[in-house]
Amino acid sequence: MNTVRLTATLEATGLRFTYPPPGAGWSAPAVLRDVTLHLDAGESLAVLGASSSGKSTLCHVLAGLAPRYTGGTLAGTVHLAGHDPAAGPLPSGLVGLLFQEAAAQLFTTTVEDEIAWGLEALAAPPAEIGPRVDEALARFGLETLRSCPPWALSGGQQKRLALAAIWVMRPALFLLDEPLDGLDPAGQTEVAAALESLRQGGTTLLVTTPGLPAARLTARAALLEEGTLTAPEPTAALLAQEERLVATGLLFPAAHWPDLRGQPPLEGPPAVEVRNLRFHYPDGPEILRGLDLTILQGQFVALVGVNGAGKTTLVRHFNGLLRPSSGSVTILGQPTAGRPIGALARQVGFLFQRPEQQLFAPTVREEVSYGPQRLRLPDVETRVARALARFNLEPVAALPPAVLSYGLRRAVTLAALAALETPILVLDEPTTGLDGYGWAQLLHWLAERRAAGVTLIVVTHEPALAACADRLIAMEAGQVIYDGPPAESAQPSAISHQPSALSGQPPAAGYRSPAHEPDA
Amino acid sequence: MSLTLDLYLPGRSWLHRLDPRVKLWATGLGLATAFVLRDWPALAGFLVGLHLLLKSSGLSWRRLGTIWRQVALLAGLIFLLQPWFAPAGRLLVAWGPLQLTTGGLASGAVLALRALCMAFTMAVLLFTTEQRALVLALVRLGLPYSWGLTLSLTLRFLPALFSLFTTVREAQAARGWVAEGAFWQRARDYIPVVVAVIIGTLRLSDQLTLALAARGLEGSARRTVWRDLRMRPVDWAVLVGVTALFAGVLLGVWRGAL
Repeated sequence: MNTVRLTATLEATGLRFTYPPPGAGWSAPAVLRDVTLHLDAGESLAVLGASSSGKSTLCHVLAGLAPRYTGGTLAGTVHLAGHDPAAGPLPSGLVGLLFQEAAAQLFTTTVEDEIAWGLEALAAPPAEIGPRVDEALARFGLETLRSCPPWALSGGQQKRLALAAIWVMRPALFLLDEPLDGLDPAGQTEVAAALESLRQGGTTLLVTTPGLPAARLTARAALLEEGTLTAPEPTAALLAQEERLVATGLLFPAAHWPDLRGQPPLEGPPAVEVRNLRFHYPDGPEILRGLDLTILQGQFVALVGVNGAGKTTLVRHFNGLLRPSSGSVTILGQPTAGRPIGALARQVGFLFQRPEQQLFAPTVREEVSYGPQRLRLPDVETRVARALARFNLEPVAALPPAVLSYGLRRAVTLAALAALETPILVLDEPTTGLDGYGWAQLLHWLAERRAAGVTLIVVTHEPALAACADRLIAMEAGQVIYDGPPAESAQPSAISHQPSALSGQPPAAGYRSPAHEPDA
Repeated sequence: MSLTLDLYLPGRSWLHRLDPRVKLWATGLGLATAFVLRDWPALAGFLVGLHLLLKSSGLSWRRLGTIWRQVALLAGLIFLLQPWFAPAGRLLVAWGPLQLTTGGLASGAVLALRALCMAFTMAVLLFTTEQRALVLALVRLGLPYSWGLTLSLTLRFLPALFSLFTTVREAQAARGWVAEGAFWQRARDYIPVVVAVIIGTLRLSDQLTLALAARGLEGSARRTVWRDLRMRPVDWAVLVGVTALFAGVLLGVWRGAL
């Protein structure tokens, strides 16, 4: 075992990093411009930054992965427990990196093999591996899942497994890239509890995050804006400066939100009418168990509930992606039965989860015009021009979506939806992964659609967004358990399941006492 | 929708505990046996033997039925079509140029049984062997570690890519995508879906490169192996046993007894 790990200190000075340009004739701006930071053993630091501020790149540089595996040029100096990542590969296991996307870093076929993999790479004696795997399974509450394939786990479980797989290698420094983002509230609570117990155990943590909950798990925090890092200050003090957080694009406080309320329902047939809807996949259990709903035109409905409650399954019936096993769904007075998805797509615009993964066209303009063209809508040119202008995408209209920043790619997905100009919009967890700017962009657009009389149906885990709706529908186990004004929902279990991390409370202890941490 | 390439059913039977290298060898001999046997009664006997073997591993009748449902169509088609192409022996029915003969029927039965024997031989291996054990066995038999890793990554990520494919197709369907018309038209309609999946795959593979490096792939020159394979006396006994059995089959076929 390497004794140098006891002096875990991270020292980075004047870091500047530029990726290689995507092709000839392209220029790549520096992603990191000026990053200086110092971390002593046992300290925890949050790096708060909006989308595309350079958070992941910073993690990759500190872990010695960039530029080694990514290409590009690095200036400045890094010292990690006496090692210089630029000089040669870091000793295996010196730095543990939790990637933003948990699924991409789980590469074996069972939970226990995932944990053992790093120990095998460290050439640990085989006799020691078993007990250490057991210890890690217990430490992260994964004992009952040891033989499961990693891809069958929930998001929170996957993150915990990834943490366990890193922890077992006893790194001197944990780099956690957006550890809570993209998880549902239950998953956030689980992972926050695991991180809190790591911190209390004296692990050296560097957390990058666009959201405030993950920052609350650390003692000090700094802002990363366009590749420049501010001097760290106590986390509580930094998080109290709302204006700074708003200016950095981290926060879009409810006080700034556009008015999403108060449109009276329109005349005419209901936008959506669901009668005794039951649904199950072939040979599967019943997911929707006899739903009855009438959503009037012009209403703003928030659909809430824990994962697996059937929310996504329900809204997929509105544009014909799923068909009822029994019962009926009627859109604007016409039953969906027998109508192809293409016909329904003219009435129901649908934003899927992780929409930025569905971009494919060679240019932004073609991406936005794909829907109107396929649906043979009139005035394709005008619609596309309107949508591009609405999201300020004209300057990048000729570029491939894939080279754009995350925030711009999200804008492209909204523009592609806007160009369809449908009377009904269904959005499935539209705020996942959004920073303050993204929230502002989304809510302003929704407010405009609202004012134009569009029916909004939004599946969300965000209590603040749900509170803006005319009507809140809470689902549990395939049934509606609450349907009424959001204010009077009396916190049904479905939405009271708010992660303690979001409210700033210390997460509930659910893990082994961190009394003795070998890496402390 | 899900796609899993893992047929393994957890268990503690003697077949589950058998060294995977012995199972790979036995599987090879089993496939060879299906080829060298030329009479349908011998193949039928072999098939019954494979069923007994699967039962001894604790496989339920229901699961056996599932395997049958998946291979029955292919075996049935072979049995029904082959006789018309290989007329021999006594003529039973003639229909224009097509002749159904006793020899044709026998040859159909042999081919169908052979396909079944091969499917069930593979089933014995795949239902009782974890993917990690299978990959480890191949590595211990001389496959370079990086190849073994590639194999297990493929097994791991194909389901992920399949689900990405489904997601993208659905998202595009909601924007009017539909595959219709003649083959070429449909193939063209799939281009946007495939492009999005390729972009996703490249992104995933970039991430994976970093994730593997972050967990110490570079230090893999002297990796250790948790739960390494070790031949027990019973593994040697089975190895010798199946090899002797196969030699017996070869001898029987050569002497014309099988």
